[in-house]
Amino acid sequence: MNPLATFNTLIDSPAWPTLQLGLHGLFFINLLYLLKRLFDLRAAAKLKALPKPKSLVGGGLVLLVLGGTFGGVLAYQASWQLMGMTRPDFIAFMQTYDRRQFNPAHRIARGRIADHRGQVLAYSEERDGRVQRLYPDGPAFAHVIGYQDPTFGAAGLEGSANAHLNGSTPADLRAWRDLGQRVVTQREPRGQDLVLTLDAELQRQAFAALDGRAGAVVMLRPGDGALRVLASAPAFDPNQLSAGLFQRGDPEARLLNRALQGRYPPGSTFKLVLAAEALAAGQTGPLVCAPEGFTTSARYPLIRDHDYYSARRSGMTWRGHGSLSLSRALAESCNVFFAKLGVQLGHERFAATLNDFLFGRRIPLHRSAHGSLTMVTGEAPRIAKTDQYGLAQASIGQGRVLMSPAHLALITAAIANDGLAVKPRLVASDQPEALARLMTATHARQLQGMMRRVVTEGTARGIAMAELAIAGKTGTAQNADGAPHSWFVGFAPADRRAPEQTLAIAVLVEQGGYGSTVAAPLARDLLLQAQQLGLLP
Amino acid sequence: MTAANPASWRESWTARAPERHWLWLCVFAVSVGFLLIFGAQRSVERLIEARDLLPLALYVPSLMVVHLSLVAVRFRGDQLLVVAVALLSGLGILMHYRLGAFGADTLTGAIRQYALYPAGMGVMLLVTLGAMRGRYRHLASWPWLWALISLGLLAALVVTGQRYRGAIYAAGFLTPSEFLKLSLVIYLAAFISARAAALGAWRHGVLPPVRALLPLAGVWLVLCALLLWQRDLGMFAIVNLVLPLLLTLGTGRIGYLLLGLAAVSGGTLVLLRFFSHGARRIDAWLNPFADPTGASWQLLQGLSGMYSGGLWGQGFGAGNPEYIPIAASDFVYAVVGEELGFFGSVLVVMFFLLLFQRGFAIALRCRGLFARLLALGLTTVLMVQTFLNIGGVTKLIPLTGLTLPFISQGGSSLLASLMAVGLLLAISDGEPKSRGRTKRRKG
Repeated sequence: MNPLATFNTLIDSPAWPTLQLGLHGLFFINLLYLLKRLFDLRAAAKLKALPKPKSLVGGGLVLLVLGGTFGGVLAYQASWQLMGMTRPDFIAFMQTYDRRQFNPAHRIARGRIADHRGQVLAYSEERDGRVQRLYPDGPAFAHVIGYQDPTFGAAGLEGSANAHLNGSTPADLRAWRDLGQRVVTQREPRGQDLVLTLDAELQRQAFAALDGRAGAVVMLRPGDGALRVLASAPAFDPNQLSAGLFQRGDPEARLLNRALQGRYPPGSTFKLVLAAEALAAGQTGPLVCAPEGFTTSARYPLIRDHDYYSARRSGMTWRGHGSLSLSRALAESCNVFFAKLGVQLGHERFAATLNDFLFGRRIPLHRSAHGSLTMVTGEAPRIAKTDQYGLAQASIGQGRVLMSPAHLALITAAIANDGLAVKPRLVASDQPEALARLMTATHARQLQGMMRRVVTEGTARGIAMAELAIAGKTGTAQNADGAPHSWFVGFAPADRRAPEQTLAIAVLVEQGGYGSTVAAPLARDLLLQAQQLGLLP
Repeated sequence: MTAANPASWRESWTARAPERHWLWLCVFAVSVGFLLIFGAQRSVERLIEARDLLPLALYVPSLMVVHLSLVAVRFRGDQLLVVAVALLSGLGILMHYRLGAFGADTLTGAIRQYALYPAGMGVMLLVTLGAMRGRYRHLASWPWLWALISLGLLAALVVTGQRYRGAIYAAGFLTPSEFLKLSLVIYLAAFISARAAALGAWRHGVLPPVRALLPLAGVWLVLCALLLWQRDLGMFAIVNLVLPLLLTLGTGRIGYLLLGLAAVSGGTLVLLRFFSHGARRIDAWLNPFADPTGASWQLLQGLSGMYSGGLWGQGFGAGNPEYIPIAASDFVYAVVGEELGFFGSVLVVMFFLLLFQRGFAIALRCRGLFARLLALGLTTVLMVQTFLNIGGVTKLIPLTGLTLPFISQGGSSLLASLMAVGLLLAISDGEPKSRGRTKRRKG
């Protein structure tokens, strides 16, 4: 009989795992027995050829040095190998990057993630001896909370708050005692919970309101930057990640957090930025706005108002706005006015304004050693000094100016907060942090009044109502891909002076059409919901 | 005196019975290890074949030849050293096999891999046989030869070396700096033992004897400059630990140790300040989680492996060392930790300690100063190298890029370590009585 063949069949037999365990033990016992025999027979193996040492000091010193150094190394090794769970950074690293299936780090119960009312948005549960991460709301929170998966790594808050969720270094004596008990009882540690500023109910409604359309909703408290809604659609289900999601060229870009990372032409919502700058420059009009439009040179097409086209469609001639003040121009969202205004203010002022309004930044909403959840702000390439038409285009939020929904929400919140921009934050325990003063309090209050007029008598009068005084600005952004993007930014209530009782909102629906008919009603519904939920007076 | 100097090979056979017994236990342990690895490597398309047994088949006769030769020449030296080396290098073979070293397609590649172990053991035996009965004292005859060889080895590395991962490696499969450890220790032992009195004459007990130290300082300067040039942190540390230790023990002046400490700290500062390579390693050591996917990837993957090994380990062959970059050489200890667990690591370290303890015991018993310093230097080099490797892998100290003696893959490392053990064995054989006495009288 061939012993090799027998061995091969033995490895295939169901008895092999047991046998393997036995052999593993036998290996250790063998080495221990060897050590014992080395000790037993030490007398027979004395260094007979060499004389005995005169003193025992040298030998003692050698034992001390050897035992000390290598004992120290082994003790330190044990602090990783046996007590690794006391190092949250280490556990987080393994959960993100270690692909060893049997690594105990994958079985640690991570902390839960909850909204500001304590509603659980992510938790861990043991199934079939393996800890699984579950997200009860599925796609609605997918971009904010992210995922944590041994194969696909970690993203969103699951990534940036990884160490916190896995527990942390024991701070006091009691924590150390608990840890000791865990090591002895071999119980896997539990991580710490993470409480967010988000409102789960509002976020669900925002996600549902997007209703399968691509878009984003950002809602935050202007006074302290607490984000109540951070929704992005289309999303993915973090409970069921698949490799297909991560392949390049997903036409729906489901992994993209549109609220924080998406960049779109802002359309007329950009007029808020220009209006603030006009106030600062003292150029509040009036300007004469010709009905047939405005252009900087005969070579370029005229920039016209929406009313011109709708009148022409119905076979009539539009008589134009005539002479407009800044306030009236913002309410009517007059393109001609703002294009003229932008050219008047000039290139240098325009570039400085973009810088003042935090264009071209990456602002971390939550940051740790394991990553950060970051929002990008808008971008606008420098317009050449000779390019007057480009400046006119940019002034009405078209052309090459791009902004993220979070950036517009931040600017709107700053207007509602009397000019001071506060860094948006997601984690309840993070301290509020002022980002920059975008305008003086006086100008901010003037702008607040103008935004209120947009709703009471301007382009957004469709959403005016008695229950809640909303102030805002609509946007209908032309783009190369098809129907225009629908925007609405605003805040409510507009009739009070307390920023902590206010909410600012930015809504984007990709290729949704007019801002006044799609994004504005969506924003109104969400603000009403917020009022019903007790977030607004 | 018959026990100390067996007259016949029959007496020698009886005297070395413990060695034989222990070696059989080593063979048994390594065989069990191979069974476990076979079990883990068996897959649907790969049956275990006769050629898989070749590494084991070469291990056993290598030990037999060593043992029988020592019996035949009536070797009176240490038995325990042989066993510790046999076990550690056996673990090395297991690790090499497990990490896929024995899979060369070309015949020459296969011969190089399979022949390495028997060749290494053969070299160890030859060194022992050549240097036993006090013949190792001839090594002390030309200290400058060894100094020249040391510098030559380093210079060859500078000329033919290729940069890889921030340090220089020689062309081909030889790493000259491994042999530098041997030649340098022989030089230092010879130099210091010949001038012990002059080197020990400190003025007023505080100022070192500059004139006597000058030649040594010259060699040391060139050596350190070359090592820093090559950014060989590990060798630099070894040189600056061994040199003051040998000076202190050769002359009884503790001041040398203090000077050495100053040199080490100064060198470390220079390395940190002027070499980005060193600074990067220190950064990766102090803040491993600052750049987990970059500079600290290897270290953290090694620690992850050890963590998943836990107390008892995943079992031989059942771990995932493929996630640790270059696991086979520098990071082999992480694989040991993953597959044998913390318990297995402790056992491996115990065999290392046994080896070092024995090396130091031999040094302490030597009458001749050269023999004492030689044994001390060789053991210290092995010990420091082991400490720097294991300490680096467990993140206790920064990574130095040194191999783990006997276990890491790498022919030069194995050969040099086995040659050092061969010399230790030869020293443990003692010196012939009559000649030893005349020597001492002269001295």
